[in-house]
Amino acid sequence: MYKKILVTSTGEYMDEIMEHTLDLINKRGIEVIGLYVVDNSAPFLTPKKVKQMMVDELKKRGKTILDSMEKEFSEPAQCKIKFRPMLVEGDPAEQIVKIAEDEDVDVIVMGTGKSKIDKHLLGSVSEKVVHSAPCTILLIRSKHKHLEEI
Amino acid sequence: MEIFLFALMGILIVSLIIVIKSANIFVDNLVEIGALVGISQIILGVTASAIGTSLPEFGSAMIATLSGSPDIGVGTVIGSNIWNIAGILGISATLAGVINASPKGLNRDGAVTLATAFILIFFMFFGDIGKIVAVFFIVVYVFYLRALIKSQKEENKINNSNQTKSDKIQVKNEREHGKEIKSNEVSYVNKLKSISPKTYAWTILGFLGLIIGCRLLVYSGVELGKSLGIPEMIMGLFTLAIGTSIPELVVTISSAMKGLHDLSIGTVLGSNTFNIMIGIGLPALIMNIPVERLSLTFDAPVMILVTILVLLLLRRGMKLTRIDGIILMATYITYAVIRIGFLG
Repeated sequence: MYKKILVTSTGEYMDEIMEHTLDLINKRGIEVIGLYVVDNSAPFLTPKKVKQMMVDELKKRGKTILDSMEKEFSEPAQCKIKFRPMLVEGDPAEQIVKIAEDEDVDVIVMGTGKSKIDKHLLGSVSEKVVHSAPCTILLIRSKHKHLEEI
Repeated sequence: MEIFLFALMGILIVSLIIVIKSANIFVDNLVEIGALVGISQIILGVTASAIGTSLPEFGSAMIATLSGSPDIGVGTVIGSNIWNIAGILGISATLAGVINASPKGLNRDGAVTLATAFILIFFMFFGDIGKIVAVFFIVVYVFYLRALIKSQKEENKINNSNQTKSDKIQVKNEREHGKEIKSNEVSYVNKLKSISPKTYAWTILGFLGLIIGCRLLVYSGVELGKSLGIPEMIMGLFTLAIGTSIPELVVTISSAMKGLHDLSIGTVLGSNTFNIMIGIGLPALIMNIPVERLSLTFDAPVMILVTILVLLLLRRGMKLTRIDGIILMATYITYAVIRIGFLG
């Protein structure tokens, strides 16, 4: 049914996202785009050099996440999957929607699981994507509650 | 009278923005010049991030001391250090939900921050802070900076050796999907090529802006204090300390929210070390810094206590949770109420 999947993560809920994506693919020949968006926003009065450091750190993290995605999708059992990693800068929700449109993907797979407090304080990328995505979205609800961290 | 007070408040806010923007412009352009003369990117990066956010506190402390208001200078430094830990880390942990700490960073930066706080209070016992102590502070800071640079070099070595497959990652063109990700090497070469006399002009302008902004900031702080009957020390400890720490606030909050935990905690701990060693060290090199009794008996001990508190909270699970953030914020509010309301 699905021919092209966009899998995106910031590193949170990675295990669940991979598990559900592989289940969705079900060993079929599918193109998978692994996406990491480097959030390059910074508040007013942030020093330029520090902003650059933040972007560099996030790029490093993005590469690590995409590497681990590639490793999982390259296992012998998943030989029919054509994996393509992608790293872009910008607003995460905007970039996910834009790439889904440009690449004409059939489904976006991403995680969700913030507590109500976190959603209010930090905002939710998945909620923004849900409102403007051009295709079906598979939202993976994490079992790891943020409450553990409080 | 009211118009005068509003005008002073306006000057205070505008001068704060001038100070912070000028510090950014000065450091950014200085880094470009540093790259041109061949100073390594690692040294420039570490120095710029360690000093960049703390330049407003340092500038204010320096100008305050030189213009005959050393109390406001010492107040800004100690007040900033208490605010950085209890206020900024408290707010950041509350907003982000969690800030993780790495054992390596915490052991080094945490220990140095605590040690510098103890060193300061130790010398405060002997009265005014003079030139010999100033030299000691500056030498200690230079050694700390060297250790930071060495550690960054080692980290870069490890990162470079790990970077093999990562480079294969597809990078979409800017026209297609947002801004293109370029390698550091390419942007570094481009920067070298693009350096112009403008960079030097901006560096000088940034420096002048910093001096003028700090002078205006200290003037408005002192005058506002006089008009409202608030002691200079209180103005330094709270108004100027919180104002000049805005860069640390925005960096710590945004990095904590993006999950860049090391940067978040490193900014605060590094800033506190810089504030004491250089923020007090350099002005003391020029003239003796008097030690107010309350600074010695209350403010400096509170600075040490909040440093110990945050290190203990971090040690528990190598992270600050939202509840820890609330504890830190409550500690700051309690300190402010006691200091302003009861001790004056």
